[in-house]
Amino acid sequence: MSGERILIVDDEPQIQRFLKHALHAAGYETIEALGGAEALQAIATAAPDAVVLDLGLPDMDGKDVLRQVRAWSQVPIIVLSARDREAEKIAALDLGADDYVEKPFGIGELLARLRSSLRHKARDAGEATQFENGGLAVDTLKRLVSRDGVPLRLTPREYDLLAVLVRHVGRVVTHRQLLTSVWGPAHVDDMQYLRVFIGQLRGKIERDPNEPKLLRTEPGVGYRLLEN
Amino acid sequence: MGKIDQASDKRPDPDALLALAGQDRRGKLTVFLGAAPGVGKTYAMLARARQARHEGIDVVVGLVETHGRTETAALLKGLDVLPRLEVDYRGHKLREFDIDAALARKPRLVIVDELAHTNPPDSRHPKRYQDVAELIDAGIDVWTALNIQHIESLSDVVASITGVTVQESVPDAVLSNADEVVVVDITPTELIKRLQDGKVYLPDNAARAAEGFFKPGNLTALRELALRRTADRVDDQMVDFLRQNAIEGPWASGERLLVCVSANAHAAAVIRSAARLASGLNARWIALHAERPGHEPASPETVQQLAAALHLAERLGAETRRLSAKDLPREILRFARSENVTQLVLGRSRAGWWRRLRGRSLPDEIIRQGMDIGIHIVTTDEEPAPPRRRRLPKPAYLGTAAIATLASVACAIGVGLSISEFVALPNLSMVFLTAVLFSALTYGVWPAIGTALLSFLAYNFFFIAPVNTLTIAEPHELFALMIFLIVAVFTGGLAGRVRDQAEATRLRVRTIQSLYEFSRKLSGTAKLDDVLWAASAHIHETVGGAVALLMPRDGDLALVMAWPPEDTLGTSEMTAARWAYEKGEPAGAGTGTLPNIRLQFRPLLTPRATVGVCGMALPPAGDVRAAETERALSAILNQTATAIDRALLVVETARADALEQSEKLRTALLSSISHDLRTPLATITGAVTSLRTFGPELGEASRSDLLQSIDEEAARLSRFVSNLLDMTRIEAGPLDATRDWVDIADTIRTAVARARDAFPGQAITVSLAPDLPLVRGDSTLLGQVLFNLLDNAQKYGDSSAGTVVFARKDRDWLVISVTDQGRGIAEADLERVFDKFHRLAAADGRAPGTGLGLSICRGLIEAMDGTIHAESPAARRRGTRIVIRLPVADGTVPVEAMP
Repeated sequence: MSGERILIVDDEPQIQRFLKHALHAAGYETIEALGGAEALQAIATAAPDAVVLDLGLPDMDGKDVLRQVRAWSQVPIIVLSARDREAEKIAALDLGADDYVEKPFGIGELLARLRSSLRHKARDAGEATQFENGGLAVDTLKRLVSRDGVPLRLTPREYDLLAVLVRHVGRVVTHRQLLTSVWGPAHVDDMQYLRVFIGQLRGKIERDPNEPKLLRTEPGVGYRLLEN
Repeated sequence: MGKIDQASDKRPDPDALLALAGQDRRGKLTVFLGAAPGVGKTYAMLARARQARHEGIDVVVGLVETHGRTETAALLKGLDVLPRLEVDYRGHKLREFDIDAALARKPRLVIVDELAHTNPPDSRHPKRYQDVAELIDAGIDVWTALNIQHIESLSDVVASITGVTVQESVPDAVLSNADEVVVVDITPTELIKRLQDGKVYLPDNAARAAEGFFKPGNLTALRELALRRTADRVDDQMVDFLRQNAIEGPWASGERLLVCVSANAHAAAVIRSAARLASGLNARWIALHAERPGHEPASPETVQQLAAALHLAERLGAETRRLSAKDLPREILRFARSENVTQLVLGRSRAGWWRRLRGRSLPDEIIRQGMDIGIHIVTTDEEPAPPRRRRLPKPAYLGTAAIATLASVACAIGVGLSISEFVALPNLSMVFLTAVLFSALTYGVWPAIGTALLSFLAYNFFFIAPVNTLTIAEPHELFALMIFLIVAVFTGGLAGRVRDQAEATRLRVRTIQSLYEFSRKLSGTAKLDDVLWAASAHIHETVGGAVALLMPRDGDLALVMAWPPEDTLGTSEMTAARWAYEKGEPAGAGTGTLPNIRLQFRPLLTPRATVGVCGMALPPAGDVRAAETERALSAILNQTATAIDRALLVVETARADALEQSEKLRTALLSSISHDLRTPLATITGAVTSLRTFGPELGEASRSDLLQSIDEEAARLSRFVSNLLDMTRIEAGPLDATRDWVDIADTIRTAVARARDAFPGQAITVSLAPDLPLVRGDSTLLGQVLFNLLDNAQKYGDSSAGTVVFARKDRDWLVISVTDQGRGIAEADLERVFDKFHRLAAADGRAPGTGLGLSICRGLIEAMDGTIHAESPAARRRGTRIVIRLPVADGTVPVEAMP
C-alpha cells in the first residue's frame, strides 16, 4: 500500500534527512516536525496515517505529545527511544504508543513496525481475530487453537493470554497491559504470574520452547507475537 | 515480684535462659574449693585432669604449685605443662603464669592453681582471677583452686575466727558465677595429722601464723564456711533450674536488700554484712550512697573511701546508686519503696551527741518513718575509728599561715599597747578578736583557732594584771578571759568555715566555668581536629598531666592527639588503651588492668558507640585536686565523646554529599555521552541500512545525500570523541602544550574554515588587527579551542546574526574574542560555564552539548599560560563574548626560526 503519509517527529535534522529518503524509497509520503507542538499541529491538520515520534524533544516531553494525541486520535504511533530508557518506553506504550524502536536502529526494523501498525489500523482499530504462523493457528472468534492441525488444550488463563497477544499481533504488549487484561487491574505488579504462564504457553505453542520463534520477549518491556 | 508473675505463665524466665545462652559461648570455670591449705585441692584437680586427658580432652597445665610434694608432682607426668613466664621483680626472678601462652595455645581446658594469687606489678592484670576471667572469655575452660578464706565477703569473718588477716581476696562473684564448684573436704583431725606429718606446705609468712591457724576450732569453722557456701550454691542452682524449666515456686525469696553507704571507715564492714545477709536471703541488693546537697564528700580521702566502698559493693554483687536529697530519711525510704526493697541495712550513724540526744540520727529517723521494711543496723565490734584528722595543708601554706597568725597577733599586741598608751580602755579583747577574724577570713579555720589561742595567751600576758606574766590576779579577769577565748574560738571557727566554704564554692564555680568554656569551645567547632585539639588542651588543663587521645583507624587504635605532643605510646600503654576501647572500661594507672603504667585510659562512650579512648596522667589519688578533678573529668570526657561523635557525623555527611555530587556528575556524563554518541550513530545506522535496503530504488540525489549525512555524522562523532580524549588528557595532569611559535592569524583562519565547513548555516566574520605578534603555544590545540568556541556560538547564538572573531594586541597580551548574537549568559553562570558538564539550555530549549567544550578550552588555554573568560551581554544587551588572552612571546623571533 503506497502513498500513506508518515509524520516524522525528531529534532535532529540528520535523522529527519535519512528517514525522509528511506520512507520515500519505501513508497511513503513524509511530513516533518522538529518539535512536539509542531507535531500536534501536523497530526491535527495533515492527518498522517502513522507517526514516528522521538521521545526526546526539545520543547515538550514526547510522552506528553502521546497523551495529548491519544485524547482525540488513534493514529498509529511508533516511538523512537534509547535502549537504556526502559521506563520511558514502557510509559509510552502504556500511554497508547503502538510500538517502539530502539535507537540506533536499522531501517528494516522501523519499516516492519510501521507496516504492522498500519495493517492494524486498516483492520478497524487493530482487532485481529485470526492468526497463523509457524504451524500455529488461532481463531479467537471460534476459540480454537491448533498446531499443525492438531487442536491444543490450553487452560482458560493461557488462552486469554494468547488471545490478547493475537489481538495485538506483531506489536509489543507491555507486562502491565497483559496483566491488566488477563488478571485484572489489581494484579499489575504480579509479574511472576506472567513469567509462569508465558513459560507454560511457550511449552504448548512453540516447537522448541527454549528457542521461541513465535512469542518473543522484549526485555524489560513486554512480549510480542510475531507475524510471518 | 515480676519474676513470680512471669513464672505463673509457666513459661521459662527469659533472663534465666539468656544467662544460660551467655554461658554457651564462654569457657566454663570449675573451682576446687577447700577450707584450708593442705586439704588436697591441687591433688584432686590433677587427678581429675588426668582422667579428662584420658578421655581425650585437650588439657594443659597452665600453672600448678606442687610445693615439692612427690604425690602431686607424679600426677603432672604425662600432662602438657605450659612453660612459665620469668618476671624480674626487685631483683627476684618470679616464675609466673603466662596468660598469653595459654591464649595462644588455646586448649580446651587449662589448669591454673591458686586463684587468689596476686600477680607481680607490670602484669596485664593485678590478680590471677582476672587472668582466669580472660581465659574464660576466650572460650577456654579453666579449673582452679581456692581456699574459703580468700572469699572477699568472708575475709572479715575469717579474720575474726582465726585472727589472721587475709591479704589476697577473690570477689564473691567469681565463685558464684563458677559453673562448677568441687569441695575438697577432709576432717580437721586428718588435716592436722597431715600437717604434723609434714605433708602440708606453708609459705614462710603463713608459717608464723600456722600455729594459731591450724587449730581444730578454726578448721571446723572454716570447713563449715566452705560447706555452707557450697550448699548455698546448690540451692541457687536448684532455683535456677526451677526458673529455667518454669516450675512454679515457692523458690524465690522475693527479698530485695538496700544498704546505705556513707563515706567513712565503717563502710566496708557494713557492706560485707549486707552482702552476707543478701546471700543468705538469696536476694538482689543495692548499695546506695545518699548525701545532702552541699555536703558532698569534699576531701580526697572521703571521696576515695566512698569510691572504694561502692567498688567493694560492686565486687560483692551489688548494684550501686547515688542519691542527693535534702530530707535524707524520706528520700532513702522513697527510693527503697520504688525499688521494692524489703530489707534495709544501715551502719550506725556517726551523728553527733547533740543530734542523738534529739533522736535525729539517720537510723532513728528511718526507723521512725519506715513502716513496711525490715531494718538492720550494723554496729562493728571495734569503736568507730576517730574521724580522721583533716589533712594538713601543704608545708608552704602552713608556713605562711603560721607567720600570718604570729603577725596578726603581734599587730594586735602592738595596736593594743599603743592604744593603752593614750586611752585607758577597760577591755582590749576587741583588738584581738579583730586579729582572729582576720586570720579566719584570710587563712581559714585552723589558723583562726590558732590565732584565738595565741591571742588568749598574749592578751593575758601583755594586758591583764599582773602584766607580763601568765598569771591572773582578779577572778573577774579570769572569767572575762575565758569568755574571750570561747568567743574567739567560735567566731574564728565560724568565719573560717565561711571562708572555707567560699573557697570550695569558688573552686566549684571555676570548674563549672571551665566546663562551660569547654562546651562553648566544642560547640563552635565541627572539625574533628579542632575538637581533638580543644579536648586534649582542656583535659590537660584539668588533670595537669599528659593527655593522649586515641581513635580507631584501619581496625586498630591510633594516637590522634597528644598533649604535650608526643608521638608514640609504649606497648603496654597501647594494650591498656585497646583494653579500654574494647571493654568500654577504664584501664591503666589506678585501675584493675595494667595498673603500673603512666596513663589511665578511659573509653569515650556515646550512645552510638565507643568513639575512642582518652589516656591521661591523673594526679596521684592523695592529691588535693583529685576529688575536684574526678568530678570534672567525667563531664569533660562525656562532652568530648559527644563532640567527637558529632564531628564524625559531620564528616560522614560531607562524604555522603560528595558521593551524591559525583553521582550526579556521572549521571550528567552518561546522559550527555548517550545523547552525543547515539544521535550520530542513529543517523549513520539508519542511512546505511536505508542504502542497503533500497539501493537503486533510491534516486541518485537521495543516495548522495544519505552518503553525505553519513560523512557529516562521522565527523561529528570524531569531534566528540576527540573532545573526550582532550578532556582525559587535561584531567590526567599538567598538559604538555608544545611551546611552538604560533602565527595566530593563520590559526584563526584555519579554525574558521573548519567551522564554516562543519556548520554551513553559520555566518562568521573575522576581524584581525594588522601585525599580530607571535605567541608560544600549540597551534593545533589553539585551533581546537577556537573551533569549540565557534561550535558554541553556532549552538547558542542566533545563526542569522552571525559570529564575530576578533584579535588584537593589548600591551604584552594577545587578545582574541569570539562574540555571538545569542541571548547571552546570566551573570551567575559566567564562571560556571567553564565547569565540566555545566551546560546551558540551547536557544530552542534543549541542552545539546556535552558540557565539556568550554572546560576543555580553559584547560588548554591555561596550559599555554593564558586566561579565558566570558562576558555577557556582549553588545546591545545580547550575545556572549568569550575572551582569550595569551602572553606575547618574549623578544623577537630568533633568526634561525626564520625561513
